Amino acid sequence: MNHPLTPLFQPKAVAIIGASHVPGKVGYAILENLVKGGYAGRIYPINPHAREILGLKVYPSILDVEDEVDLAVIAIPAGYVPDVLEQCGEKGVKVAAVISSGFSEVGNVELEEQLLEVARRYGIRILGPNMFGVVYSPSRLNANFGIGEVHPGKIAFITQSGALGAALAYWATAEKIGFSAIISVGNKADIDDAELLDYLAEDPNTRVVLTYMESVKDGRKFMKSAKECALKKPVIVMKAGRSAKGAEAVASHTGSLAGSDAIYDAAFKQCGVLRAITFIEAFDWAKVMAMQPPPRGKNTVIITNGGGLGVLATDACEDLGIPLPPVQEDLRRALKAILPPFASLKNPIDLTGQADEDLYYHSVKAVLEHPSVDNVITLQCETALAPILEVSKAILDAHKDANVEKPHLICVIGGLRAREAAHFLEEHSLPVYNAPERPVSALHAYMQWSRFTGLLSD
Amino acid sequence: MDLQAIKSIIERAYSEGRNRLLEPEAKQICKLAGLPVDDWHVAKTADEAVNYASRLGYPVVMKIVSPQVVHKSDVGGVMLNLDSEEKVRAAYSEILENVKAKVPEAEVKGILVERMAPPGIETIVGALKDPQFGPTIMFGLGGIFVEVFRDVSFRVAPLTEADALSMIREIKAYPVLAGARGKPPADIGALISTLVKTSQLVVAIPEIRELDFNPTIVYPSGARIVDARIILEKRS
Repeated sequence: MNHPLTPLFQPKAVAIIGASHVPGKVGYAILENLVKGGYAGRIYPINPHAREILGLKVYPSILDVEDEVDLAVIAIPAGYVPDVLEQCGEKGVKVAAVISSGFSEVGNVELEEQLLEVARRYGIRILGPNMFGVVYSPSRLNANFGIGEVHPGKIAFITQSGALGAALAYWATAEKIGFSAIISVGNKADIDDAELLDYLAEDPNTRVVLTYMESVKDGRKFMKSAKECALKKPVIVMKAGRSAKGAEAVASHTGSLAGSDAIYDAAFKQCGVLRAITFIEAFDWAKVMAMQPPPRGKNTVIITNGGGLGVLATDACEDLGIPLPPVQEDLRRALKAILPPFASLKNPIDLTGQADEDLYYHSVKAVLEHPSVDNVITLQCETALAPILEVSKAILDAHKDANVEKPHLICVIGGLRAREAAHFLEEHSLPVYNAPERPVSALHAYMQWSRFTGLLSD
Repeated sequence: MDLQAIKSIIERAYSEGRNRLLEPEAKQICKLAGLPVDDWHVAKTADEAVNYASRLGYPVVMKIVSPQVVHKSDVGGVMLNLDSEEKVRAAYSEILENVKAKVPEAEVKGILVERMAPPGIETIVGALKDPQFGPTIMFGLGGIFVEVFRDVSFRVAPLTEADALSMIREIKAYPVLAGARGKPPADIGALISTLVKTSQLVVAIPEIRELDFNPTIVYPSGARIVDARIILEKRS
């Protein structure tokens, strides 16, 4: 991809300016993550006071590097950044990720302006300042000072918050959620959400974009890029700071009714962006979008081995307007032949607490394969009778054997074995949730996106 | 939309040091933007008021026109449902007295006379310039829906007809418009057209900072903006 941001994600050579040999320092953590992450390009640690860090030769200045460098990661005190950027400019660096803080976020607008002035003069693009780094799994680039081991996946995560963003990356990784990219945007002095969305829209390694934002500088620019991206892949936004606008004087009724949040909400709707209120919700949605094909119809069937779990899922579907039509006659007959006589063949299909691997396998396969069914939610209660991991394997086999392009979401309720089963299924791209409302909310969000792109009509 | 004529109304207000348009000015802009407003006249004497009322047809409404009076009803500057010459005459002097008592410094430009709008469903159409997103449009149902429940929807302008329809359907009180409890459904097409034209107006005229068409009454056929308030960006 020939894009001004390509060197940020797929650099040929990275300089870490402010690389440190002291574990615990930012300049050490970034270098360590980059080296251990297996980045295949050349790495140039820059530090006038060191000779070798983590087995790599250290250069006193970027100008001492003989090779070309297209990405510079800068982690030095803010006051020195403009001078160092000047050197980056002379070196021909294309993108600088400025980790350093002490700019507009603490009121030092002048220093940020100075930084931008140098950047403009040399045509360097700036990510940040005041950010924790960038990760791009396809090129095994891990240039952040937070999480070391990132699961490769299809979710690109953009975050305006540093600490929360870094923590969410740890959290999601513990949940076995995989990322194509993690981008900390910091003060968004130059590169903003809109431009990243433009890039990620075209990125074949990203299936869904999730962004945490507190503000956008140019609402119209964001809407344009978000809409174009959302037509290609789902864009999920967590927009924090939802309280109404405070002090600004308004003279009209309309003004008194318009919190800035209402406007953000409207803008998101108009450009097809899915707004998540909590990060749990955001990642729940992202997970199915990364793993499963989009819904092409609304008709959903729930399969369960517990009546109560089925009722909870049904209520959630009703609340969100997801139709659960009755099971069609031929499918009923097929299921009747394999299920115990007391199983319920309405929707939800209740396999009963006696359901074992076989029953799950045959019912899930038959339901997935039936042309009247657009989406399937398979629920599983851990019971003393059915080994949960074996049942999960049967669900996966049924899913593979059915081989249909329909979203399939799983909910497993239980203890430690349920968690093990969830990880197993997710490794095979079946999204698993631990409460019945969660897959329903995720399916609903995915349906909203399908509606926006025209894949699904009402 | 007659942009030149709209701009000249705005320039006149600015030249008089005002950034709030008077109701007749706001209504004239509505008319020039193709928005549904009924005819009106501004009377300078009681005789003129009677004359206009008989020309328009009873019952009529009379409202104070003064740059200093922002909330017309609060100062007794609005009289509704006047169905005879005597009532119009009486209302003319009563409005002047009320305003003189409550806002002694008010400069009275006249009294607006228009036909009383027949009852229908009261909605509110608004616009507001947002610092991040620029002009935005608001829609809601009048009365408690907006006052108590703040049941309104917003969209960033310009609106497509589909945007307008989705913002109408988004409010919780939408069933009232769709014809709840055996009542005929409201003319959704007329509302869509009002929203889209309001959006065109605020996109074309960046001087407009905020506006309220409150109420905009919608009928089984058609809609009518009954009161229009337009506030301009301050100009130094």
